[in-house]
Amino acid sequence: MTAAIEIDNLRLKLGRREILKGISCRLGVSGAGKAIGLLGPNGAGKSTLIQTLLGFHRPHAGSARIFGFDCHRQAREVRSHVGYMPESDSFIANLTAVSFLCLMGELSGLPAETALEKAHEVLFHVGLGEARYRTLGTYSLGMKQMAKLAQAIVHGPDLVILDEPTNGLDPSARLRMLKLVKEMKDEHGMSVVLCSHLLRDVEEVCDEVVILKDGLIVHQSNLEEERRSNRRFVELEVSGDDSALAAHLSALGAEMVSEGGGRWRIVLPLEFEIARLWQVTAQLNLGVRKLTHRRDSLEEIFLKAVGHLQATPQERLHADAVAAEEVSPHGHL
Amino acid sequence: MAIYKRGYERYQGPLTSHWTRVLVLPRFAWRRLFQQRLVLILMIASLIWPLLCGLFIYLSNRLDLLQSLPGDIKNMLAINGKFFLIFMNVQSVFSVLLAALAGPGLIAPDLANNALPLYFSRPMTRVDYVAARIATLVGLLSLVTWLPGVLLFWMQAGMAGWTWFTKNWYLGAGILCGFGAWILVVSLVALACSAYVKWRIVAGGLVLGFFFVLAGVGQIMNAVLRVDWGSLLNPTQSMNIIWSAMLGVEPPSGPGVWVCAGVLIALAVLLGLVLERKLRAVEVIS
Repeated sequence: MTAAIEIDNLRLKLGRREILKGISCRLGVSGAGKAIGLLGPNGAGKSTLIQTLLGFHRPHAGSARIFGFDCHRQAREVRSHVGYMPESDSFIANLTAVSFLCLMGELSGLPAETALEKAHEVLFHVGLGEARYRTLGTYSLGMKQMAKLAQAIVHGPDLVILDEPTNGLDPSARLRMLKLVKEMKDEHGMSVVLCSHLLRDVEEVCDEVVILKDGLIVHQSNLEEERRSNRRFVELEVSGDDSALAAHLSALGAEMVSEGGGRWRIVLPLEFEIARLWQVTAQLNLGVRKLTHRRDSLEEIFLKAVGHLQATPQERLHADAVAAEEVSPHGHL
Repeated sequence: MAIYKRGYERYQGPLTSHWTRVLVLPRFAWRRLFQQRLVLILMIASLIWPLLCGLFIYLSNRLDLLQSLPGDIKNMLAINGKFFLIFMNVQSVFSVLLAALAGPGLIAPDLANNALPLYFSRPMTRVDYVAARIATLVGLLSLVTWLPGVLLFWMQAGMAGWTWFTKNWYLGAGILCGFGAWILVVSLVALACSAYVKWRIVAGGLVLGFFFVLAGVGQIMNAVLRVDWGSLLNPTQSMNIIWSAMLGVEPPSGPGVWVCAGVLIALAVLLGLVLERKLRAVEVIS
């Protein structure tokens, strides 16, 4: 399977300052419709990385490839597969939305008639159908964001790079934007790179996440796998005599730690059916007051990656359970 | 199916060729330019002189009265290099005015609206972009320069006969090449000014200033310092000297043809560097 984006020891200097300091990663799968979240604090190099992928900057070492094409040497091929929505306002003020999209479509290689047809189609798709004959200069911020998204997808690219797409959008417009991004990957099989400061947006839409800090990748994970592994961490609160619970769960391969008062933190083995837990509590005649999955939010992963958090709650839970297991085989503190 | 009922579908069909894409920009630009009344008025005004010249060519070949004039007067009214040089000088003024009106609208709005990342994130290089913008001006200025010039030449050749053509074929080549070089210089000046200042009106003023103020400065230098190289500061004068040589007319006093050509080439390189520096997808502050 070809990765949508392959970066190998990418280094970039702007002036005398090194912005990207040897980035290597493989992101997405060609044609699989995956979304990749690009996160990082201000000045981490996210936008510079995007611009390098688009061939705007020449790397001084390493390489970046999109669908197998070198981003610098084969910039034209790369760009014919990519749609880009820049962060800042980018448009041609005195053109109507239809003309603007027509122009962008034709520049991407669409025949004139098809470009006109696609311009109308995409404008209705992003919700600007009624305003498509208005000049872009008269659009509100939210409408401009949608017009920018429309120009990025008018030619049906394989990869769409979205730089802060929900910037300045009201809640309903934000939801609409995220819905469109989800549709792009799920229904149209496009790969999406979403660069955003809003972690919730990334968490909602993306399958993979890369966190940059000071020009380096400090965290890369598959959010789908994270979500799956999150299901292994359970917080349980029971009423009744729970002294035998640890032994029963240990027999099933779980690690746990009791916090007293019927509260337990449990790490379940892989492929463990949650129904088994209900069976064990029923067998021991325990009343279940609370059963929750403890999950690390993307915010916690992000804060740990950029060095503002020692460990995520999940990591702490796991460390506690392992420590308790070492002290007492049945996990009682 | 009505467009609003259709959902979004990715385009999977064949793509157009590279040069078809590059020519999209001039096509859109011309459409917008010809929607401007001022451009249309100036365009029409700039065609009046070629019409008058055409009328003169017709009359000089057809009216017995003009044919029967005494030798000196007949020579003065002859269709020769001098006639075409006057035609070219008049049309060069219109071409500068048109470039000042149309040129700034080509790049300045793209810079002001930060549209360059949109162009350069598509299969289009900076060279393609500049070539497309120059093509826009070349197309527009051709309508008032070499196209009517060559038409007039063929009209004269057709009316005066084969002998006149064999003796004066170089006039046609001179009109074509001379105006070609002039269009290139004017286009580069207009685009560089447009790229240098993001405000369209100021960019237009800068284009006019470049040609008319520099001409004045050149004249002042010539007069004050009692030299003739001040004319090199005046691109119009330099071009006039080159045109004179091309059309076989005695050139006005001033530097030689090759010096003028060298200065204009240096100017073109300088303007190219301005464009290279200003037209970037993203501005890098080092």
